[in-house]
Amino acid sequence: MRTVIADKRWAEKYPDIGTGPVSAEPLISPEHFELEREKIFRRTWLNIGRVEEIPNPGDYIAKDLTMCRASVLLIRGRDGEVRGFHNVCSHRGNKLVWDEKGTCKGTLTCGFHAWAYNTTGKLTWVPDEENFFDLPKCDLGLSPIHTEVFEGFIFIHLAERPPERLREYLGGVADQLEGGGFSQLALTGRYKVDERANWKIALDAQNELYHLPFQHRRTIPKFCVLKDGQFTRLLDVRLFNHHSVYSSDPPDDRVGPATEKLAAQYSVAETEHRLPRIGSFDFYTIFPNMALLLFSGVSHDFYMTYNFWPQAVDRTDWDIKLYFRPAENAGQRVGQEYFKCLLRDLLQEDATAHEQIHIGLASRAKKELYLQDEEMQIRYFHTVLERFYAEA
Amino acid sequence: MSAPILPAEFADLVPFIDWALATEQERTSKRLASGMEDIQAFYDCMSARVEAAVEYLNALPLDALPPEAERLFQLSLSLMEVANAVEMFQNPAVINGFDVRRFAPVEDV
Repeated sequence: MRTVIADKRWAEKYPDIGTGPVSAEPLISPEHFELEREKIFRRTWLNIGRVEEIPNPGDYIAKDLTMCRASVLLIRGRDGEVRGFHNVCSHRGNKLVWDEKGTCKGTLTCGFHAWAYNTTGKLTWVPDEENFFDLPKCDLGLSPIHTEVFEGFIFIHLAERPPERLREYLGGVADQLEGGGFSQLALTGRYKVDERANWKIALDAQNELYHLPFQHRRTIPKFCVLKDGQFTRLLDVRLFNHHSVYSSDPPDDRVGPATEKLAAQYSVAETEHRLPRIGSFDFYTIFPNMALLLFSGVSHDFYMTYNFWPQAVDRTDWDIKLYFRPAENAGQRVGQEYFKCLLRDLLQEDATAHEQIHIGLASRAKKELYLQDEEMQIRYFHTVLERFYAEA
Repeated sequence: MSAPILPAEFADLVPFIDWALATEQERTSKRLASGMEDIQAFYDCMSARVEAAVEYLNALPLDALPPEAERLFQLSLSLMEVANAVEMFQNPAVINGFDVRRFAPVEDV
């Protein structure tokens, strides 16, 4: 049967992305993993967290980025500014901060020989300083990392000179999300998933809705408009710069379980708050390893982020965060608990599948993946990957 | 007189007081350690009472609930925890679910 492109909405909208099968090799090969280390994770803006995680001067978060062979320290200075540094002491290279999150009273002290730094990264104290040899103390502050914030999301760039500012890098994503009011929502739930799967297998598996009526037949079979009651039909797909978003609306005849109806009812707040959504649900892929999901609620919206942190070619830390409007009463909190548990349970279905897909692909029984029109955004992600692999 | 376990008008929920647990991890563990019969019994009873519970709790400040109200709140959270087991899986755990030790809630958010 010959394909009529005019019937394929997203292939018609983006004819340059192609329609052929996609190579499975990058999903499993150690060679591609090494390419990604140098050509992707050290050359793109990476989201580490949000400004609300370090609200006060002296608050910090530290994150080991295995993929980048780096440990990153984000700290709010006494001047209120958020700065990023290599989390490495200038004396003998010890990791400065060992906990993932904390606060200091103006000074971070290395556990090895007590070299101390202030909240702007300046070296302020060296024990037995006189016994060193012309120590250039002024030049021995923490090594800075390019750090920028968009709508409260903190990004870092490990290159010495990033080719573009964060705003430019985000491009159309930033145009769509600017002024979105994300800071009015608070981190309400977080899961760390330790997966035996390649980070792109995990991301690809989340980057479409085609699987919902099947893989999630028990949890959310009806989430998106369905053709013939069976097959998802997205509301929109948009490709920008290295990123993409797909959007959906719910079917008219969706009837949720009894407890979901109660939870929706309890969640209602008097004042509305909306995020800059395209459909009732939007899924952004922010290259390389972040996803931002916007959900509509009865009176106010909520959002989630995923950060897929590669640990090895077949191992990923999937960091899942849920942001709700701060609950004003017990009912709203109970309603949020329902949606949190629902998302957690269905993401467990996904996490299991990521590992099974990795096993399947690692056999090399299948060398190519066949994608349908509703999986355009996956095809685009692989196009962007190829673009980065090919860079000098 | 000793302090009530639950507010007086919710005394009928006292047999389910084991479900009054403070953290998600504890509530999930309880769900996974229980048989479907026990989960169903708690679900049936708590579903019928949760509307009244929420109405009672909404009249109190969320961050300063008295201990007996706090337990009622935790029972309501546990209902949200077990709802999927009853309504979606007919099984305590997620069918085709993930090892929960490797899908860990971070409680200090």
